Amino acid sequence: MSIKTKLVTCAAAVALVGAAASAMAQDKPAIVTVVKVTGENWFTRMNEGVDAYGKDHADVATSQVGPAKADAAQQGRLIEDLVAKKVAAIAIVPMDPSALEGVLKRAANRGIKVVTHEADNLKNTLVDIEAFDNKEFGARFNEKLAACMGKSGKWTSFVGSLGSLTHVQWADGGAENAKKYPEMELVSEKNESFNDANRAYEKAREILRKYPDIKGFQGGSAIDVIGIGRAVEEAGLQDKTCVFGLGLPKDTGPYLESGAVDGISFWDPKDAGYVMNRVADMVLKGEEIKDGMDLGVAGYEKVSVKKGPGEGSILVGQAWVDVDKSNYGKYPF
Amino acid sequence: MKGALADRQLSFLALTNVAVLLAAVLLTGSGFIDLYNLQSMASQVPELGLLALGVMLAMLSGNGGIDLSGIALANLSGVVAYLVLRDTVSADDAPLVFTWSFAGIALAVGLAGGVLNGILVSHAGLTPIIATLGTQLFFTGIAVALTNGSAQTLGYVEPLDDFGNTPVLGVPQCFALFILIALLLGIVLRFSGFGIRLRLLGSNPKAAHYAGIPRRRMLFLTYTACGVLASVAGIVIAARTSSVKWDYGSSYVLIAILIAVMAGVRPEGGYGRVICVILSATALQMLSSLFNFMDISNFFRDFAWGVLLLLFLAASQIDLRAWIAPRH
Repeated sequence: MSIKTKLVTCAAAVALVGAAASAMAQDKPAIVTVVKVTGENWFTRMNEGVDAYGKDHADVATSQVGPAKADAAQQGRLIEDLVAKKVAAIAIVPMDPSALEGVLKRAANRGIKVVTHEADNLKNTLVDIEAFDNKEFGARFNEKLAACMGKSGKWTSFVGSLGSLTHVQWADGGAENAKKYPEMELVSEKNESFNDANRAYEKAREILRKYPDIKGFQGGSAIDVIGIGRAVEEAGLQDKTCVFGLGLPKDTGPYLESGAVDGISFWDPKDAGYVMNRVADMVLKGEEIKDGMDLGVAGYEKVSVKKGPGEGSILVGQAWVDVDKSNYGKYPF
Repeated sequence: MKGALADRQLSFLALTNVAVLLAAVLLTGSGFIDLYNLQSMASQVPELGLLALGVMLAMLSGNGGIDLSGIALANLSGVVAYLVLRDTVSADDAPLVFTWSFAGIALAVGLAGGVLNGILVSHAGLTPIIATLGTQLFFTGIAVALTNGSAQTLGYVEPLDDFGNTPVLGVPQCFALFILIALLLGIVLRFSGFGIRLRLLGSNPKAAHYAGIPRRRMLFLTYTACGVLASVAGIVIAARTSSVKWDYGSSYVLIAILIAVMAGVRPEGGYGRVICVILSATALQMLSSLFNFMDISNFFRDFAWGVLLLLFLAASQIDLRAWIAPRH
């Protein structure tokens, strides 16, 4: 094969790839949603919301992209290219918010509208969207725990790591709420599971050994309840303990069935995706993001808007979804 | 004869660059070659390019040479530099001092890490892939322990930020530095005694031994240089993201190797050209940006890179045969 033939083959291959993917000329403003990683159930569900917004609003083009590996560097490069491409708006679920400040500032300088989700410490964003207030979310877990425990007994809390701000907020929110019930005793709080179901399992076993009469567990990271559930199941304490926490319906299903986990809460990524695009669209059209406005999605009917750490604002909904054994099957993620 | 082979690889890579660029313009329009995007792509190259140069150096030395610890050391350099400076130098009051000390400390950490790799490979005689896998975990572990696993934000430090993001005379500074380092490395490898001995060592360790080439010292110096290159990548990362974190670029290890192999660096040692590594890095960058411009799934990108690598390997095989045949 001569160099020329190789070159031609190579160019043809690239061209063919391009043609197959058909870069449609988009005249309408493009809102691109950038997620942490492609192919995870959570973000596949989010994609449904992104597509739904595009379908409902023909005047904007929506799409979702994300790196193939959950790596802040890969996500940064993706955004870098979108900024160069000069899309109208970018909606981001950051892998690591602090690594994106630089590129988002460049985006703003180029007139690209940036909205984010799960990044209330990010400065270079116009609107950060949070599904709910984290303290309140923690208090809700505790309220359910209290009801299940009969408002008395020992309980403990888990966090992914002490560095995970939201998890710590949930644990604190729970502890604060528990002060209402003097009979409830918090023991060895904020156990770190390091987002590893096995670590959570071992920690839970340790706690069951140390406090055989423990009645309540509040999970932090989405896999905590799985680890706790396994430990509870092995100890045969399904009926004597109450386990609540953040969790994903598909992963937690077996434990909900067995009763080892009593209930989980989460926010629906589909709605979050829809709302992110809605807000990005509003910003593009120059509409004001007002406190108390209705975004037309369940849980976001009366959002609160406060000032963020930078120029932008933080929009908070009440978009928690609580499920138990009876209805977890409705959520395919 | 050897020159002909080298030129072939070089022209193949150069033509690939042109082909990708042409395809990009055809497919996505002139937006792809406006100044902003060219600068944006150029400033994305150094992080991976520097790591790929490190991989190339390690591969050149033969003996199954490779450096897997590059990105881990890059992150560790940034983390240590930040932690040392956080409490000693105020970035707001003395941004220039902060920036230079940051670079200095990062380089020192890179040097130390490189020395560790060097000792393990040259004096302890460990297989490079095992030694650097070990140090990769070691460096990552230290960075996690020092930061508790969370990202450290540098904030806006003007000179550092400028280095990462502001072009001078149209050229992004970090890209200019990358080219400068590559140029120096190229000259050293090509013309200095060290470079020639390194290539000889890589292509035939036994002959090199009998020719009196100090194997241990050569390996030690090579892996030390890899460490320093990694820390420069660490500085670039810190400048571009205004933060340091232990797991940044965890996907870079394999991509850096991909760039080196695509550049025709021989994994068994002895042959590799800096200019080819640069062209290989830019080709990958443009291809990856093109895919992002076209909204093509990132999974497809991994696939495309794989295909590209196989294509390059196949091409070099064919070239190799044509090169060997007339000699017999």
